[in-house]
Amino acid sequence: MSALSSHLLEEIKALPAKYPQPRSAVMPALDLAQEELGHLTPEAMSEVAVALQLDPGYVEGVATFYTLFHLEPVGKHRFYVCTNLSCMLRGAEDVVDRLKAAIGVREPGEVSKDGLFSYEEVECLGACEYAPVVRLDHRYEVDLTRGKIDSLVNDRRLVRSHVKTGVRSSLDTTPEPPRKKPVRRTKKSG
Amino acid sequence: MAEQRGTVGGPVLTEWFGRANLHKLEVYEKLGGYEGLRKVVTGMSAAQVIDEVKASGLRGRGGADFPTATKWSFVPKDHPGPKYIVVNADESEPGSAKDRYLMENSPHALIEGAAIATFAIGGHQAWIYIRGEYDLPYEKLRDAIAEAHAKGHLGDHPFGTDYPLDIRLYRGHGAYICGEETALLESLEGKRAQPRSRPPFPAIKGAWGQPTAVNNVETLSTVPWIIRHGGAEYAKRGTEKAKGTRMVTVSGDVQKPGNYEIEIGVTYRHIIEELAGGPFPGRKVKVFWPGGSSAKVLPGSMLDTSTDLDGLKALGTMGGSGGIIVMDDSHCVVKGAARLLRFYAHESCGKCTPCRVGSNWAVRTYERILANEGSQIELALLDRVQQGLQGGRCLCGLGDAAGWVIQSTMNHFRNEYEEHCLHHTCSVEGALIHA
Repeated sequence: MSALSSHLLEEIKALPAKYPQPRSAVMPALDLAQEELGHLTPEAMSEVAVALQLDPGYVEGVATFYTLFHLEPVGKHRFYVCTNLSCMLRGAEDVVDRLKAAIGVREPGEVSKDGLFSYEEVECLGACEYAPVVRLDHRYEVDLTRGKIDSLVNDRRLVRSHVKTGVRSSLDTTPEPPRKKPVRRTKKSG
Repeated sequence: MAEQRGTVGGPVLTEWFGRANLHKLEVYEKLGGYEGLRKVVTGMSAAQVIDEVKASGLRGRGGADFPTATKWSFVPKDHPGPKYIVVNADESEPGSAKDRYLMENSPHALIEGAAIATFAIGGHQAWIYIRGEYDLPYEKLRDAIAEAHAKGHLGDHPFGTDYPLDIRLYRGHGAYICGEETALLESLEGKRAQPRSRPPFPAIKGAWGQPTAVNNVETLSTVPWIIRHGGAEYAKRGTEKAKGTRMVTVSGDVQKPGNYEIEIGVTYRHIIEELAGGPFPGRKVKVFWPGGSSAKVLPGSMLDTSTDLDGLKALGTMGGSGGIIVMDDSHCVVKGAARLLRFYAHESCGKCTPCRVGSNWAVRTYERILANEGSQIELALLDRVQQGLQGGRCLCGLGDAAGWVIQSTMNHFRNEYEEHCLHHTCSVEGALIHA
C-alpha cells in the first residue's frame, strides 16, 4: 500500500506540465504530499520521486533544504514563532516561554500529548510592524501578548472536533464566511 | 482585522491605499489602474517603455539599487526562445515587510507592473516567486491574476491586441537565500536554492536557461505609475541621483511601527521620530539598521543621516531593502547582534566555506560571550571572523552581511562588547547576566 493516496499521485503526475521544465514541479508536489500526511515520510518522498521521474535522493535533498518541509511529525496546529530581531525587541522570548507552557512542550518540534500542537522558532516573517508575530494555520497572528497566546491555544482546543477551525487571522480582510458555532465538548455522565 | 500600519494616500506607491477593496480589479481600474498596461500594449514599443522607465531614474528596491531600465535593456532582443520576468517576492530580510504591505493592499499594481516589464523585455510570461509564509498575499495575488485574466487584461489578447501576456505564481518553502536572485532561480527550477556563479548573468541565462530579468515587488509596483504620469514626473521627486519615492518598514523600539512611503532624501530622524512616532517615553534611539539587518548599523547620534542612497554608500552602509530596525537604550547591542548572527548562520546555504564556517564560528563565540565565558580572546576572535566573512569571498553577499553586523556593532559599541567579554556584566540589560 502506498503512503500517498492514488488521486494525489495522479495530481502530482499532472504537475510537471504546468512548468517550462518538469523539475520545477518538485516543491509543489512535496507540498501536496505534506498537506495530505502532515509531514514528509521517506516513503512519501520516494513516491513523489517516482511520480515525477526523479531520483529519490534528489527529492530528499530538496525537501531537507527548505524549512517549510517537515521530515518529522508535527502538531495539527504548528506555531511558527518569529524570534528575529524586530520581534525579539518586542518580547518574542516571552511569547516562546508562554507558548511552551500553554501547549505543554519543552522544546521546538515536540508535539503536545494530544497531538494538537507543536512550535518552531523561525526567522523574520516579514510582518515586523506587528511584532511579535506567529504564523499559525496559514494566517499571521499579530501583536502577541501572553493572553493572546492562551486564547489562540484554547480556541483550538475547543474546536478540535472540527476539521477546519474557522479561526481567522486579524490580518485577514476578506468577508467572513458563515460558520457553525463551536460546540464545547462535555463529559457524558455515567 | 488589524489596522493597516503605514502610509495611505501617499505620493506614488500608496496613492490609492486606504480605498475600500483596492485589491479588487473593479476598484483598482476605476481609479486609473491598468491604464499603464493598456497604453503600453496598444501604443508603445518595448524600447519606448524602457526609455520611459529610464527617464524616471527608477532603481531596484530589493536592496541592490540597480537601474531598472538598464537591467531590462540587458535582456537580448533577438533571442529566439522564451524570455522571462521573474518577480522576487521572497521578502525575508529581517526588518523588511514593505513588499507584503504592497501585495496585500494593491496586488493589481504588481501584476500590472510585471506585465509591463514582460512587454518591455519582449517576453510573454512572468513568474512571481513568493515566499511560502505569505499566505494572504499569495491568495490576493492568485485571485487578482484570475480577475485580470477574466477581464481580458492578461491572456492571449490583452486589451484586444495579439501580444500574449501571462503571469504565474510559484511558492517558496522557507529559505532566506532565495532573496538572492540566482538562488531564487535555482529554487524556481526545483533545486536547492544555492547561488550560481556569474557570468552568465540572468539576463543571458536565467530561469530555465532563458534570458531573464529579476525584479523586486516594490520596483514593479512603481512602474504603472511611471507609465501613467511619465518618467519625468517621477524623477521630480527624490534627490538628484536617487529619484522618486520608496517604502521603508520601521520596526523595533518605536511607538508607531509601520510601512511608510518616503521621498528619497528625507532623514532617518524624520522617518523614525515623525512617521514612526519616535522611541517610547523616556527612551532614546541607541542604534538603528538603516536598510535591513544586512546594512551596517548607525548610532542614534546619526539620525540626521539622509536616506539618499549615495550618501548612505559614502557612510559604508546602504538603504538596502528599506527595513529600518530601531533599538533603544534599554536593549543590549551584543545580544541583538548575536541573534542576527544566528539568523545568518541558519540561512547560509552551505555552498561557500567562508560563509558556512565563519557564521557558525561567530554564533559559538557570541554564545560564549553571553554565557559569561568571554575574554580578550573572544573579542579578537569576532574581529577575525568578521574579516573572514567579508571581502567578496563568496558567491553571494550573505556572508558579507553577517560580517557587517559584527563589524559595525563592534565599531560603534565597543564598550558594550568589552563589558560583556572582560567584565561579564551588561549595564544595559542587567537581568540578562546571571553570573
